[in-house]
Amino acid sequence: MGCLEMTTIVDKGELKSRNSMIATYLVIGGAVIAVMMIFGVLMLLAQGGVLDLSPAAFYQFLTIHGTGMIGAAALAAVGLMWYFLRDYVELSKKVFTWNLILFLIALVMIIVGVFSFEYASAWTFLYPLPALSAGAWGIIGALLYLGGMLVLGTGFLLLYIDTGRAIIRKYGSLGKGLGWDVISGKKDVKDAPPATVIASTMVTIVNTTAIVAGAVVLIMNVINVINPAFTFDPLLAKNLTYAFGHIFANAIIYMGVIVVYEILPRYTNRKWAVNKSFLIAWTMSTAFTLVIYTHHMLMDSVMPKWMLIMGQALSYANGIPVLVVTAYGALMIVYKSGIKWDMASGLAFLSMFGWSVGVVPAIVDATIVVNHVMHNTKWVPGHFHMYMGLGAVVMLFAFMYYLAKVDSNLKPNGLDKLAFVCYTLAMISISAQFLVSGAISTPRRWATHFPEWMGPALFGAIAGVFLVIATSIFITHFIRYIIVRNKTGSDFYERKLA
Amino acid sequence: MVQTVAWVTSLFFMIVVAAVFLIVVIKSKEKRDYEPIKKKWYKARTFYATILVIFFIVVTIYTLRELPYDQPVYGEEIKPTIVDVEALQFGWKMSETEFKVGEPIEFHVTSGDVTHGFGIYDENMNLIAQTQAMPAYTNKVYTTFDEPGTYEILCLEYCGLGHHVMIGKLEVTE
Repeated sequence: MGCLEMTTIVDKGELKSRNSMIATYLVIGGAVIAVMMIFGVLMLLAQGGVLDLSPAAFYQFLTIHGTGMIGAAALAAVGLMWYFLRDYVELSKKVFTWNLILFLIALVMIIVGVFSFEYASAWTFLYPLPALSAGAWGIIGALLYLGGMLVLGTGFLLLYIDTGRAIIRKYGSLGKGLGWDVISGKKDVKDAPPATVIASTMVTIVNTTAIVAGAVVLIMNVINVINPAFTFDPLLAKNLTYAFGHIFANAIIYMGVIVVYEILPRYTNRKWAVNKSFLIAWTMSTAFTLVIYTHHMLMDSVMPKWMLIMGQALSYANGIPVLVVTAYGALMIVYKSGIKWDMASGLAFLSMFGWSVGVVPAIVDATIVVNHVMHNTKWVPGHFHMYMGLGAVVMLFAFMYYLAKVDSNLKPNGLDKLAFVCYTLAMISISAQFLVSGAISTPRRWATHFPEWMGPALFGAIAGVFLVIATSIFITHFIRYIIVRNKTGSDFYERKLA
Repeated sequence: MVQTVAWVTSLFFMIVVAAVFLIVVIKSKEKRDYEPIKKKWYKARTFYATILVIFFIVVTIYTLRELPYDQPVYGEEIKPTIVDVEALQFGWKMSETEFKVGEPIEFHVTSGDVTHGFGIYDENMNLIAQTQAMPAYTNKVYTTFDEPGTYEILCLEYCGLGHHVMIGKLEVTE
């Protein structure tokens, strides 16, 4: 009896510390996202003509908003992936902790670079803008920002090396992690890796590639900032930048979707079948995510034409795994399931809607003839606010509510439900105002707007206020969970849901 | 106008996606055995996937017929006007800014410093064509103005604190 008690205490202690690191990831990620939303609202207010922001302040906000959103959402998504993946493979907690430490160092460097040294290259830092700011910022600001991005990338790279190592150790290779031996018929489909492992393998492959590409272009920029006489090819730099940015941003959703795969089956008591089409879909996503970044360069006619045509065709093709397999799977599993809707399941389902619906304007924009008159208009933030704001980030919130539910006795209240409705409507409104702005040719990333462009921006700013309120309610619930949990421990771990 | 087509098409398909998700939510209240559902909807998926792939292929082929990268085929006597454009933080240097309606024009666009975006706006502030202004490279835009008026060049790639003041003008007469 005494021995059993000991075991329970040890397990509880271990679980508590493991989940508290995950909770730290989520709470930092969530809080940064909320603050970044405030910068978003301020920018829309300035574009709407009701807030007088200096161009320097506006473009600093723009830089921090993009960088912070992508960085924080990626951090929280890693926490989510790690939580589920550790059930299948043995991950290094040390590496997990180091990623967070490096993230925090990077965060400080980037904030100081942007706000103390007025660095404002936008998060795309297109060469040679970091070095040629027309006097707006100096070497120190640029080095802090670029260096911060490098530190951030290093943390993530270490983490993906660890997930890759763990997957290879358990399954034999990354190919087997994607189920290639099942696709080729060497292994029975019932022995296929679980969805979480497949998604994690995909993200490991694409993000390792992305970060290496990013590191190369960051280092080239660093050298150019220190010694402007050292130049390199701007088109190569642009390719590397978008290879990094596109993949890294997209991988957030491929990490986030793990929560959908894991929790909807538990809520519906139905199995999410990993079959051959599922495996093929994930291999397609892996390949396409790596190569379709060229749709960011459709307005560079000096690029090889075949690459641009491929950018369009494969962007279309990349919609297929989502629309035919992942979203369809979510719809099937919920259809006539008698599911008990709560915050976690509701948000998980909403995220699949956000992802699927965001695919539509994304595909439209990847069409070369459309891109010719819509590239770099607000249509672009329109589509990515949709699948990031209504898809990826919602997956993170779904996980926050799920973790609070299974790991504590904290229950969401009416306010949380109100926040759910508020968030959904606000995010749809924000996406819609961007799309409408794009349709009337409003350029993106402009500190000020002509009067005819102001209406949608102002509408978006008002919706943004509601979005910030709703997000704050989500995060408050999660912080309450952390507080409750610290008091009571982790007795409720892995409670049965259905 | 391309923008209107893009917006209406997007809106239509976004509403379709929303409707499907909404129907599934409404139907989620019922509880049925999963096996028959799987059987029925996997079959439906094969049909849906086939339709979707065919649709994507058709749209791809249709939209790739004429690309803005291709130099138009000019008549024998017609020589296009070549305009050299250099973008600089924060303005446009253009070899020519006055044109005639119907005159075929090629803008050869480059940059003297960082990457900019060369976006041509008509009098109603609709974007009619664009390309990237890259240092060390020259991108081309082929256009023929159908209407007289004052057209504006707006910067469409973030290039620094003066990005939004980088506006040039073109005059097109009959």
